[in-house]
Amino acid sequence: MNHEELDLLQGTLDLIVLKALIWGPLHGYEVARWVSETTKDDLRVEEGALYTALHRMEGRGWLDAEWGLSENNRKAKFYRLTSDGRRQLRLESARWTRYARAIFRVLRTA
Amino acid sequence: MTRGEGFRRLFRLDRGGADVERAVDDELCFHFGLAVRELMAGGMSEADAQLEAERRFGDVERTRAGLAALDRARVAHVRRAERWSNVGQDLRYALRGLRRRPGFSAAIVLILALGIGANATMFGIVDRLLFRPPAFLPRASEVHRLYLAGRFDGKEFAATSTGYRRFREITDSAASISAAVAFWTTKIAVGVTDPEELRVSFATAGFWKLFDARPAIGRFFSEADDRVPAGTPVAVLSYGFWQARYGARDDVLGAQLRIGRFDYTIIGVAPKGFLGLSDDLPVAFIPLSSGADNSFGVRNPPNRLYHGYTINWLQIVVRRKPELSVAAATAELSRNYQRSYAAQRAEQPGSPPEAEAKPHVVVGSILTQRGPNQGTDTRVAIWLVGVALIVLVIACANVSNLLLARALQRRREIAVRLALGISRRRLLAQLLVESVLLALLGGAAGIALAASGGGLLRATLLPGVTWTNTLGDGRMLLFAAVVTLATGGLTGLAPALHAVRYDVSNALKAGSREGTYQRSRLRSALLVLQSALSVVLLVGAGLFVRSLDHVQALRLGYDPEHLALVTPNLRGVVLDSTSRETLFRELLRAAQALPGVRAAAHTASVPFYSDWEEPLFVSGIDSVSRLGSFVLSSVSPDYFDATGTRIVQGRGITGGDRLGTPGAMVVSQSMAAKLWPGRDPIGQCVRVRADTMPCSYVVGMAEDIRRGSLTDDAGLQYYLAREQFSTSFDYLFVRTSGTAESSGEAIRRGLQRVMPGASYVTVMPMTGILSPVRRSWQLGATMFTLFGALALIVAGVGLYSVISFNVAQRTQELSVRVALGARTHHVMRLVLTDAVGVALLAVALGAGAALLASRWVKPLLFATSPHDAAVYGTVTTVLVAVALVAGLVPALRAARVDPSGALRAD
Repeated sequence: MNHEELDLLQGTLDLIVLKALIWGPLHGYEVARWVSETTKDDLRVEEGALYTALHRMEGRGWLDAEWGLSENNRKAKFYRLTSDGRRQLRLESARWTRYARAIFRVLRTA
Repeated sequence: MTRGEGFRRLFRLDRGGADVERAVDDELCFHFGLAVRELMAGGMSEADAQLEAERRFGDVERTRAGLAALDRARVAHVRRAERWSNVGQDLRYALRGLRRRPGFSAAIVLILALGIGANATMFGIVDRLLFRPPAFLPRASEVHRLYLAGRFDGKEFAATSTGYRRFREITDSAASISAAVAFWTTKIAVGVTDPEELRVSFATAGFWKLFDARPAIGRFFSEADDRVPAGTPVAVLSYGFWQARYGARDDVLGAQLRIGRFDYTIIGVAPKGFLGLSDDLPVAFIPLSSGADNSFGVRNPPNRLYHGYTINWLQIVVRRKPELSVAAATAELSRNYQRSYAAQRAEQPGSPPEAEAKPHVVVGSILTQRGPNQGTDTRVAIWLVGVALIVLVIACANVSNLLLARALQRRREIAVRLALGISRRRLLAQLLVESVLLALLGGAAGIALAASGGGLLRATLLPGVTWTNTLGDGRMLLFAAVVTLATGGLTGLAPALHAVRYDVSNALKAGSREGTYQRSRLRSALLVLQSALSVVLLVGAGLFVRSLDHVQALRLGYDPEHLALVTPNLRGVVLDSTSRETLFRELLRAAQALPGVRAAAHTASVPFYSDWEEPLFVSGIDSVSRLGSFVLSSVSPDYFDATGTRIVQGRGITGGDRLGTPGAMVVSQSMAAKLWPGRDPIGQCVRVRADTMPCSYVVGMAEDIRRGSLTDDAGLQYYLAREQFSTSFDYLFVRTSGTAESSGEAIRRGLQRVMPGASYVTVMPMTGILSPVRRSWQLGATMFTLFGALALIVAGVGLYSVISFNVAQRTQELSVRVALGARTHHVMRLVLTDAVGVALLAVALGAGAALLASRWVKPLLFATSPHDAAVYGTVTTVLVAVALVAGLVPALRAARVDPSGALRAD
């Protein structure tokens, strides 16, 4: 796997995580569950990588984290989109849509 | 567990690495707990669920370390951002505070600007004189100026200049040096039409090799151009002259420039900022051998100039070999000098023997002012650095005091903020930001002050030095920046520390009635300090002003205010001795006929300008020259009327003293006392120049004149009749009815008409010649007075602010007194006693310090005791008067307190 593809993959992961948080704060496990439910078996995402993405985006200011209580009353770290995070999600999803559309066109004409 | 605890958990996260790791672990534990539970709910055994959860997660250990690293970076970043946002917040807060009290802020900025500006100016001056090596001179510590030192007339001296032959004999074979350069800088007429006397440097070709400089255009001159006795007439212009005179045009190369009597081809321009080795920038550099006989003219044929020992005109600069010490170079060059001195004695048997003259070489710094002949100006300048520092200390004390007063006024605000939980460290930082901000504003204003006023000061007080522009002077700006920051820290520290030490509950409970005594004691101490320091400065000012008074009132033996010196310059005109004599007589007649001229006469010597000595022979005295150096002038009749020198016995030189009558001589009182102690000088016989000459008979005795030093001048002068003892040194003294300064131009125009061809006259008022001689006292008096006045104003303002503040603090107490029947004058006396008390304490401390310091300032004073009672008395009076004035307004306010209002308030 060369460097460019890795970058691409990472960008995708961020996008997925941002998307997961669009309906409200979730803790890490909920993000992982949402990702596996949404992507079914098409995309295999390691949960460790998800956490790394969460923490990295927290550092960049796209996510806010705070400790709260889970549904079964246990202390959990909840992540929430910041306004920067929302803007990032908009940008990234527009970019991905364009990218996917372009690839798709290429495949159709072939 | 509540949500609140969660928040606190997040707060704690900020404190360090251990917390970060614990948080990561907590998060992962939660994840695995949930994952395993859900998998088990799906029917897995606990062990299988554990394995499956880890498989889905990936490399747990690596992820865990990675998460911790990410979090640590984030926390550090947040903390940094917070710190900067604090600084930004403090700055905004401080700015708001300053804007809210513009008068207070402006006063502080002004005081600091004066202090910092004075220091920047003095630093610039002293740095230029004593520390900064010449531009473009690499390894300046290896480059030395040579001084030829010895003893003469029982006194040590170190001569700055010497002759060409001596230069060669000392440096030619010297193994301790890698280069030797001789140069001479003089004012000489430059240009053809409307010539101007400008500084030109005559230098040996090696001059350029000392520097690491490339010409701006063209080339420098080389050995090929500099061949004794007649080098190539080429010139290298200085950058400034090239710009001013030629508009920086390139086609100046190859053009001709008239310097003195000859035309020079311009071959290059020195780079911008090049000053050579002198303090003052010459307009052009020419090869020594192409110019030497140019300026000296017929008087000094090359053969005397290059092969004799009698004409001392060159400065010597050498580059020492870095591996050899200064001591080694000194030893070798001194040996060479001693050999050369022996050779001179063989040619001139009259010179004192080596054992008595003790000739040796001083290998000095390239900077003249660090050499053995340091000027009094420089020593005064060093003192003024100290004075400027005192001004800064006073300014700091005063600003500290003002800030302290403000901190007291803000006591409740600060207490409230402390109670609301602001950390003391944060509060301290905030208060310091405020004082540093004030200092920065003061520093900026101070640099502006140094650039404008300081520039003016430097140019007037030390005109013989080319200065760099203040704003282009990196060393000075750096110095100003350091002083500014130090000032900000210093002035803010005491008030800030004071403010954060408040006991919150006390400050909130008590009214302004309580808790002020302790604080006003610190303020009083600062006040006494600044007043005492101003006393020191004022005493200094007084001593220098009195010295200057004495210098100016000094009887010089001539009347400088009304005396002008006329120098005829026979450029480009070749005259035989008869027509030359005719011209000089005509000049004299023309001068005497000018309106506003009371008398005019020829002279050959000019005090502080040009000396002439000849060997003297008096029967009964072995060696007259051992008694001192006797300066001679050959003068025309009316000379004593022209200068204003009094004849105390006998007569002056008259028209009757001509060829064919017995030689006439007038001697000074000191000379008479030295040669014929206790006897009548009139009628004595003196032989001038050789013991075979006929007698000159003393016909009169004149008062002594000062001609070499204001402070100690032996006063040994004599005068001969010009008709009987002719000379090629020819000047005219003109005595004017108005000041010589104002009549100068009229005299020049009147006499210029008489001059043939391209020759011209220059006219200099005698005061112009004396001003550099008097400058050190002028400098001391002006600067001490200026700084002393500044200090006094600052101290006065400080006194006023502290006393009025104290009155405000004591309003209640005073009201009670008034209510109990105290009269207006009682209350006023109460307040004024405070002010005068501070002043008297300050006088006692300041005068003590001044008495201690005066020991070192004594050599710079003139006929003034450093303990001068009048000076101390005046300063005491002035300070007490200032204290009374400063106390008067608050005292009146105190006297008008309305007891009922003040008691009801608070």
